[in-house]
Amino acid sequence: MANGFEKSRNKWGWVFISLSIIFIGLFIFYPLIYSLYLSFFSTKGAMKNFVGFGNYKRLFQDNYFILSVKNILVILVIQVPIMLFLALIFAFLLNDPKLKFKGVFRTALFLPAVSSLIAYSVVFKMMFSSEGLINNMLMKMHIIKEPIRWLLDPFWSKVTLIIAMTWRWTGYNMMLYLAGLQNIPQEIYEAAEIDGAGKVAQFFKITIPLLKPIILFTTILSTIGTLQLFDEPMMLAAGVTTGSSVGPGNSLLTPSVYIYNVSFKYVPNFGYASAISYMIVIISVILSLIQFKVAGEEK
Amino acid sequence: MKRKITYTFIYIILTIAAFISVFPFYWMIVGSTNKSVDVNKGKLTFGTHFLTNFKNLVNNYNLGEVLWNSIQVSFFVVVFSLIVSSMAGYGFEMYKSKGRNYVYGAVLLTMMIPFAALMVPVFKLMSFFNLIDSLWGVILPMIPSVFLIFFFRQNFQQYPKEIIMAARVDGASELRIFFSIVMPSMKATYAAGAIYAFLTSWNAYLQPLVIIQTQKNRTMSLFIANLASGYQPDFGLVMTAVVIATLPTLILFFALQKHFVQGILGSVKQ
Amino acid sequence: MKKRFSVFMLVVLFLGIVNAAGLSGKITIWCWDPNFNVAIMEEAAARYTKINPNAQIEIVSMAKEDVEQKLNTILASGVKKGLPEIVLIEDYNAKKYLESYPGAFADLTKHFNYDEFAPYKLEFMTIKDKVYGVPFDSGVAGWFYRRDYFEQAGIDPSKLDNITMDEYIELGKIVKEKTGKYMQAGDPYDGGLMRTLLQCAGTWYFDEKGQPNFVNNPAMVEAVNVYKKMADSGISKEVTGWNEWVAAFNGGEVASVITGVWIIGSIKAEPSQSGKWGVLPVPRLNVQGAVNASNLGGSSWYVLQNSENRDLAIDFLKEIYAKDVDFYQKILIDRGAIGTWLPAQKGEAYVAPDPFFGNQKIYVDFAKWMEMIPPVDYGIYTYEADAAIMGIMPDVYSGKLSVVEALKRAEEQCKNLIGL
Repeated sequence: MANGFEKSRNKWGWVFISLSIIFIGLFIFYPLIYSLYLSFFSTKGAMKNFVGFGNYKRLFQDNYFILSVKNILVILVIQVPIMLFLALIFAFLLNDPKLKFKGVFRTALFLPAVSSLIAYSVVFKMMFSSEGLINNMLMKMHIIKEPIRWLLDPFWSKVTLIIAMTWRWTGYNMMLYLAGLQNIPQEIYEAAEIDGAGKVAQFFKITIPLLKPIILFTTILSTIGTLQLFDEPMMLAAGVTTGSSVGPGNSLLTPSVYIYNVSFKYVPNFGYASAISYMIVIISVILSLIQFKVAGEEK
Repeated sequence: MKRKITYTFIYIILTIAAFISVFPFYWMIVGSTNKSVDVNKGKLTFGTHFLTNFKNLVNNYNLGEVLWNSIQVSFFVVVFSLIVSSMAGYGFEMYKSKGRNYVYGAVLLTMMIPFAALMVPVFKLMSFFNLIDSLWGVILPMIPSVFLIFFFRQNFQQYPKEIIMAARVDGASELRIFFSIVMPSMKATYAAGAIYAFLTSWNAYLQPLVIIQTQKNRTMSLFIANLASGYQPDFGLVMTAVVIATLPTLILFFALQKHFVQGILGSVKQ
Repeated sequence: MKKRFSVFMLVVLFLGIVNAAGLSGKITIWCWDPNFNVAIMEEAAARYTKINPNAQIEIVSMAKEDVEQKLNTILASGVKKGLPEIVLIEDYNAKKYLESYPGAFADLTKHFNYDEFAPYKLEFMTIKDKVYGVPFDSGVAGWFYRRDYFEQAGIDPSKLDNITMDEYIELGKIVKEKTGKYMQAGDPYDGGLMRTLLQCAGTWYFDEKGQPNFVNNPAMVEAVNVYKKMADSGISKEVTGWNEWVAAFNGGEVASVITGVWIIGSIKAEPSQSGKWGVLPVPRLNVQGAVNASNLGGSSWYVLQNSENRDLAIDFLKEIYAKDVDFYQKILIDRGAIGTWLPAQKGEAYVAPDPFFGNQKIYVDFAKWMEMIPPVDYGIYTYEADAAIMGIMPDVYSGKLSVVEALKRAEEQCKNLIGL
């Protein structure tokens, strides 16, 4: 019986994945190959010029592309760790069986993750306007004397973006960590408590090491998400009449926004846009590999 | 005593975090009850304009039609995406082979592609299938979800192989094992997957934007984007639309929350 | 009697047949502002379907960026199905589409008498003597000001119809000192004012060959100076995004607004300010040849060559946008839209005093300024240039870069963006 199955095993494997392969092939791989082909052309709307690797060479001299990569690297280095760290702390606190109102806190903290990207960006833009809610509150609480130029200053606009993204995604990551924490038996924590280890020690000595695989997973997901960042900077940077730069001094310019602008706002050059996309894919792969490597070595 | 202080501290931290998380929602709802001017001023208290805003949306903008389109899109994406992705996850996990592992790797890699890069080819493809300006043109490309395939595969790792073996001994076909034994016993996983698929399809913006051409087929996100643009946007109206768009996701989340947590749980077990 | 009736019937029948044979079908139109061009198109459609009951018109309202994105997608993919008959394109963008997709837009040269349209609107829709668009709304710029605040500051508006931006900034300081109000509100990183200033000087970001021309362009140097002086003087309330901007003048925080005429609807959205506003000619840039008239934004209609009912669409535009004086009166009254079909400007609505603006005959003034707008060829890279110059402004404001140095870098960046 089992042997008979072994023979057809391979066949069944393909049967089960066939539907998804058809869909992915059609709607992801085919467009992907087509855009790889396009990336060797410089296009102007309907007109195409073969340029070989010209687009890829152009990337390295394109200040705005380089700036867009720098911008997301800043987000990667600052926002992602802050967010994941907060998510870890919240997950750790909510994992305590003695805590009351756990469900309420968990739901509240996760809530931002169900909001639509467009909607929350619009709401944040309004809250962070110079005379908006946030500045008003901070001034009433005497934390600041002058209004902060949230979206008017290259530095603060990045801070705003970081705050917005952290609001939107911390709960989501917290949920993943919470799920992971269910695998760590409570006895470990109880034993640690008896040994006199405080909450802080438990967090660093038990939670973080044991959650490592999930931390790696969320880091990679966040990295990919950050590299494709689009809706938030687009909405936050919309200007008075045109939105000439993407945030003050293009401080919110991301590769995806740049791809969009090159394709649709500027003279449409889909070939160059495709080349930028491929570069982003390459950067994503490299960063993911590095993250795997770092996590692996620490083990 | 020390413990008490620690817990007070924890409660304070969590309360602040919960407040920050919920506050923008509160403000959004307040906005939907106010006039455009008041939304601009950042008014924090409820007004009396909700009905006016709502009626305006229903009567002048055909809100019902827009909602119905979004519901259809999300419904079909959720159903098909769950079937297709869970089958794939099952196939990759239960029938491991070298060839399929390479395919799996390639599939995971596609997560790294920004959608903006695929827009023109996808449009071309859809026009080939004659699906421009149809809801199916929006639905079909959203069915393959790499994340869901990954998610289901992770979850199937927990599934006791003995049950499958036993069913095989009983002579059940592979498809039957999947559909009538495995699937019904993974409710939590499917619930979590459903929430994920619903959120992505309900909030999708670029995808429908590329495909939909006429007023009668547009979805909620397109509608909100249109409302918020122009020379004189009415922000009370925008906020009302945003609230209405957010409601279904909230309801679904609260209804399935329990399963959702369990489903996520399964995905990260090693 | 009977005979007359049958002749009448015959004529009706005949007309019916002509219509049915040549001009029937469905026209799809893409535009973006529900309160403005969408509503105006709906009015036009209602009028046309009365003339030609065989026509069916569907107006699709989208966000402006979305119209541009869809148009690019559909034209780039070379698909012939599902094309709209008519699209609205912002004037700054027009040439880009016309040049990027040759053959995609219908040549309308023979169909319209273009002498009847404001000349500055033709510059960017003409390629090799062929005209591809139907000029629509004007972005003729005005200097909207608060009569009450100016009076409080001791400023006499009657002496302000011929001033420069430098004088404007000086006045702004007086206003701020005397009334505590800002002179204006603006996004310091938005290129709108820059374009208004360049056009009043009759220049643009590019030279005749279409090459970026920043450093050696005196108007541009001066315009960047204006941005810098404005920021330093503190007369401008800094805002980000449209709603903050509108809130600034609706909330009575600013004494004036320099922008396109299309803002009237938003200004009037605050009825409590009725009678307190007035309009002046825009201050000009302090360079040789600049005039006190300019433009910001504005858009025009284009017909797609390969769309199904192209001829019907052209007939529609002709019957309404180049014939119907009454239509232009109506959209002016209802929407504050100033058309650029000149014969319409003799109509009654144009000469009526507007109580909201202190009974000033504002549309007479706007019509006058509209004819003074220097025609400028926007070329195809306006948004690239905009992004290049506005991207460097933080360094100008902070003093890190001199104006000339900044312009040098921006020009390089612009070439970079164009791919030169």
